[in-house]
Amino acid sequence: MNDGWNIVVCVKQVPDADDVTIDPDTGTLNRSDAPAVLNRPDHNAVESALALREAVGGTVTAITMGPPPAKAVLQTAVGAGADGGVLLTDRAFGGSDTWPTSLALARAAEELDADVVICGEESTDSSTGQVPPGIAAHNGWSQLTYVESLEPRPDEDVLVGKRDVEGGYERVAAKLPVVVAMEFGANRPRPAGLHRKIFAETEFEPVEWTASDLGIEDRVGLANSPTKVGGMDTASPVERERERVDTVDDLYEHIMEVL
Amino acid sequence: MPIDIDDYRDVWVFVEQHEGEAAPVSWELLSKGRELADETGESLVALVMGDGVSHLADEAVARGADHALLADDPVFEPYRADPYGEQFRALVEARKPSIVLIGGTHTGRDFAGRVAVPAHAGLTADCTELAVDDEGLLLASRPTFGGDAMATIKCPSHRPQMATVRAGVFDASEATKDDVDAAAAVEEVDVVVTEEDTLSTVIERVVSDVVDITDADVVVAGGAGAEGNFEPIVELADALGGEVAASRAAVDEGWVEPARQVGQTGKTVRPHLYIAAGISGAVQHLEGMNDSDYVVAINTDPNAAIFEHADYGIVGDLHEVLPKLTAMIREKQEVVV
Amino acid sequence: MSAQETNGTLQLPKMQSETPDYNDAYDAIVVGAGLAGTAAALTMAREGLDVLMLERGPAPGTKNVFGGVLYTPTIRELVDVDSAPTERYIAEKRFSMLTSDGDETAVSMRPGAWRDEPHNDSYTVLRRRFDEWFAKQAVDAGVTLITETTVTGLVRDGRKIVGVETDRPDGEIRAPVVVLAEGANSLVSENEGLKDRQEREAVAVSVKEVFKLDRETIDDRFRLDGDAGAAYNYFGEGAVGEAVGGGFVYTNKRSVSVGVAYRIEDAANGQTPEATLDAFESHPAVAPLIRGGRRIEYSAHVIPEGGAKAMPDLVHDGAVVVGDAAGLVLNSGVHLEGTNMAVESGYHAGKAIASALADGRSDEAALAAYPRDLEDSFVVENLRHYDWFQQTIADDRKFLFEDLPRALADAETEYFKMDRTAKDEHTDAARDRLLDAAGGWFGAAKRAWRFRRMLS
Ligand SMILES: Cc1cc2nc3c(=O)[nH]c(=O)nc-3n(C[C@H](O)[C@H](O)[C@H](O)COP(=O)(O)OP(=O)(O)OC[C@H]3O[C@@H](n4cnc5c(N)ncnc54)[C@H](O)[C@@H]3O)c2cc1C
Ligand SMILES: Cc1cc2nc3c(=O)[nH]c(=O)nc-3n(C[C@H](O)[C@H](O)[C@H](O)COP(=O)(O)OP(=O)(O)OC[C@H]3O[C@@H](n4cnc5c(N)ncnc54)[C@H](O)[C@@H]3O)c2cc1C
Ligand SMILES: Nc1ncnc2c1ncn2[C@@H]1O[C@H](COP(=O)(O)O)[C@@H](O)[C@H]1O
Repeated sequence: MNDGWNIVVCVKQVPDADDVTIDPDTGTLNRSDAPAVLNRPDHNAVESALALREAVGGTVTAITMGPPPAKAVLQTAVGAGADGGVLLTDRAFGGSDTWPTSLALARAAEELDADVVICGEESTDSSTGQVPPGIAAHNGWSQLTYVESLEPRPDEDVLVGKRDVEGGYERVAAKLPVVVAMEFGANRPRPAGLHRKIFAETEFEPVEWTASDLGIEDRVGLANSPTKVGGMDTASPVERERERVDTVDDLYEHIMEVL
Repeated sequence: MPIDIDDYRDVWVFVEQHEGEAAPVSWELLSKGRELADETGESLVALVMGDGVSHLADEAVARGADHALLADDPVFEPYRADPYGEQFRALVEARKPSIVLIGGTHTGRDFAGRVAVPAHAGLTADCTELAVDDEGLLLASRPTFGGDAMATIKCPSHRPQMATVRAGVFDASEATKDDVDAAAAVEEVDVVVTEEDTLSTVIERVVSDVVDITDADVVVAGGAGAEGNFEPIVELADALGGEVAASRAAVDEGWVEPARQVGQTGKTVRPHLYIAAGISGAVQHLEGMNDSDYVVAINTDPNAAIFEHADYGIVGDLHEVLPKLTAMIREKQEVVV
Repeated sequence: MSAQETNGTLQLPKMQSETPDYNDAYDAIVVGAGLAGTAAALTMAREGLDVLMLERGPAPGTKNVFGGVLYTPTIRELVDVDSAPTERYIAEKRFSMLTSDGDETAVSMRPGAWRDEPHNDSYTVLRRRFDEWFAKQAVDAGVTLITETTVTGLVRDGRKIVGVETDRPDGEIRAPVVVLAEGANSLVSENEGLKDRQEREAVAVSVKEVFKLDRETIDDRFRLDGDAGAAYNYFGEGAVGEAVGGGFVYTNKRSVSVGVAYRIEDAANGQTPEATLDAFESHPAVAPLIRGGRRIEYSAHVIPEGGAKAMPDLVHDGAVVVGDAAGLVLNSGVHLEGTNMAVESGYHAGKAIASALADGRSDEAALAAYPRDLEDSFVVENLRHYDWFQQTIADDRKFLFEDLPRALADAETEYFKMDRTAKDEHTDAARDRLLDAAGGWFGAAKRAWRFRRMLS
């Protein structure tokens, strides 16, 4: 019998992408003190977690791995309607790439006895999209990425996802537990209710778990991250003429010149 | 568990296919893989998985692979992450490749994320440049946040070194070796998964031909400024013999199909001429078109960021500017004809 | 739901599915986390009240357009200004008359005293950073700040205002007192009939651009060092064309703010803000100051310009109006001050609310200490002065903004002319030129009398 699903939603704190522009002269980022916000695609994950809870019952638990201020994104999720939150925070996590990050989230999902883990398509700061399949792989669970919509089949312990497969779609029935990555923009995230938002920002407290709580202190962090950033080159800014023309005739001339 | 990285050799390319047809990015990677393998003095191996796909293994050899590994079984059609992942794990364990390249498509990224974990491999997403250093380490470079900087990622102590690579970045290899004995270079491997072990079932699949804007010489792109009317953009693209593209905002509105989206979550295009009409120039968009030879911008807002990234810009309403431009181009063409 | 469960050693998250009801959980709701709102919230929190402050922007200050020089006498009483993110202190004030022919006549002031703490309580700031910091001081004092929430209306019980309605689901919340600190664009106060819709003449438009320049370039161009900064004000046809108003150039650390502010009435007469700003920026007296700078910001805003006469009722049953929303801005051309009045009004409102609530009251009479105290402060005093000024300017627009700058320029040209005529002759010609413009000796004396208060 089904008495609702344990739905876990993974949310990540990132610098606000809307605040980032490229300085055309130096080619560097103007982050203008970009504040940390909830990764935009994760709003779609939260929304589908809440919609799924409405459809099958159960609870939504938001989890994030990050330094203590990352609590803010759990508040965002709880404000929108998540029931609880877990902050995975530990110095040991520092420098983790997608392999240990997905391990930590996978272990947490296991501890929460998750039926469904919902992630965003990718994070705007690292944009790998590797964490959701990574979570599934660590736990040997099924996975559904680039999901446009979900159809739960609680009686069969199955979640059907409609996936965007570039040029079309497919519907895949996945056994629980399953890790889902919602396609960015797949749904319209609901705004937080006023009283819920006040609650989330004043009274809500997440539990905090460390790497050793999860028994993975020796498998996370920089040392256990296979990838190393070898170097950062400022991509030399593409030289552009940046010429303003006043008439369509001039524009036409320029186009003809370059063609 | 520390591994002996010297046990790992060869460059593998995952040949993504759907219903027996290879994704174009696979052949792009095969040609890049060839270069890398030549540099490290290793073999280039094509990994082909599917049902009834031996012709793709042959084609991979004809296009330059030294060998092809073929996992041919109904369990591999259509693609699913878990059986593909399990098969890959078994192959990596047994054969220890040093480098694995996978297309940065939805399928490729679904697959790569899954298979890097059991292999404890380093996986770099969405690369746009690949090279090897003196010690034979893969240098996988990708634009970081906003695309202004390139981060070069290495995996010094884990194997394989994996990367997903954007479509349209490298040129595809041609089939050069017509009548080689491909069969001799193709090895059918043991299939280690059964249908019973799988965790998912594809219950419906609807795919039509996908437009490919990545090869176009001229791209005319429209954004939110089109306000629902893409006609002027389509007409101009038509007059210039180019492809229509769009910003994410226009795609989200449903004015244009997703395959035509340019940018971080869309396609990378590098046409000779890119015309951006009614596009503000968000970093995520710029990332997909900054390598165009010439950029022309049409925008009503004189302060739109796109002007800073354009060669020629005009402040104006695209619904007025584009039709005029189209008419001029058509007129000229008539004269020539 | 159940209390904390444990699974082995791991503490499981508490499921908090029920949402508490916050109606009347706060003593006061502040609408807008600008200077006035934050000052009110901070004052109330210090008085031991529970305060909820609602801000529509993603953070305080993100929606703020401001020239600007922040005047800190009252803020200093509330917080430690020395740790605030200010840009530069004002070491020089400069007033210049511009004609549209490229003439400039300027007076510059650099009193040595301004170089010493507390720098005459005048600093350039970037409001985005300052307001966020200021609001953080309030939050640290116990205020609950909720952002990305727009107040759309007031909740009433009969005549009494008992709460606000927001744009969020489940968006109504009640509290004994509402502080309207929404700034110049005070839609809620207007729609709810707490004040009249702004008269056109009573509003000025302002457009502003920020140009990025190296710190050294700014120091060199404006002759500054250390944290010293400059505030340049401009009048005359060369600043804002036919309109009544002025232009300004302020130095930040690594950028320069350039803008114009003038009566919206004039803007409607075909003079667009963009064109006005463009002309101002290309004036030969201004262009070199921003040359080579990269435009990083453009913004437009309204400034209330009503003076004391246009001040709405500041208290209502269950509500007070503070800052720009109450029209507390002095925009005289010589002075553009609102920040100090915003903070001062928020402070008095906060005090008044605390003492009213201490008596268990929040009706209009109980809150009347606020307008009373404001009346006794510099705020209303200055605004009265300004009413006179406004009128004088309107009467003498042509003289002030066209004839006088023109005459000054001509007189200077004449006075300093290098030719083979005796200096005396130039002096006479220059004086005649000035007198001419002022309407002869008699006219000049009359005007001098009338304008004597201008700089007072
Ligand atoms: C994780 C992530 C991934 C993303 N990936 C992508 C991506 O791959 N590709 C992408 O494009 N975006 C992407 N975005 C979105 C991106 O940030 C911008 O929101 C988007 O590019 C804006 O599209 P736009 O320029 O068409 O719309 P807007 O920003 O709304 O700009 C419309 C422009 O049209 C102008 N305009 C209006 N009317 C007219 C007219 N009549 N004539 C001429 N001009 C007019 C306006 O002045 C404005 O500059 C991504 C965002 C995130 C967070
Ligand atoms: C171009 C310009 C230059 C200026 N230069 C100077 C200067 O040099 N010196 C000086 O002293 N003064 C100057 N001023 C005036 C000064 O900026 C204002 O007087 C001062 O900011 C008023 O503070 P306030 O708190 O009343 O309003 P604001 O600072 O405008 O704050 C109002 C806040 O309320 C929020 N808000 C509005 N409506 C709602 C709603 N419905 N729900 C929730 N939140 C809402 C807004 O987002 C904003 O954060 C200048 C003004 C302008 C426009
Ligand atoms: N540190 C993290 N904490 C929680 N969720 C994460 C974290 N990193 C990634 N995710 C989730 O994984 C998705 C894909 O991220 P990425 O693989 O980094 O592009 C995000 O949208 C999140 O849902």
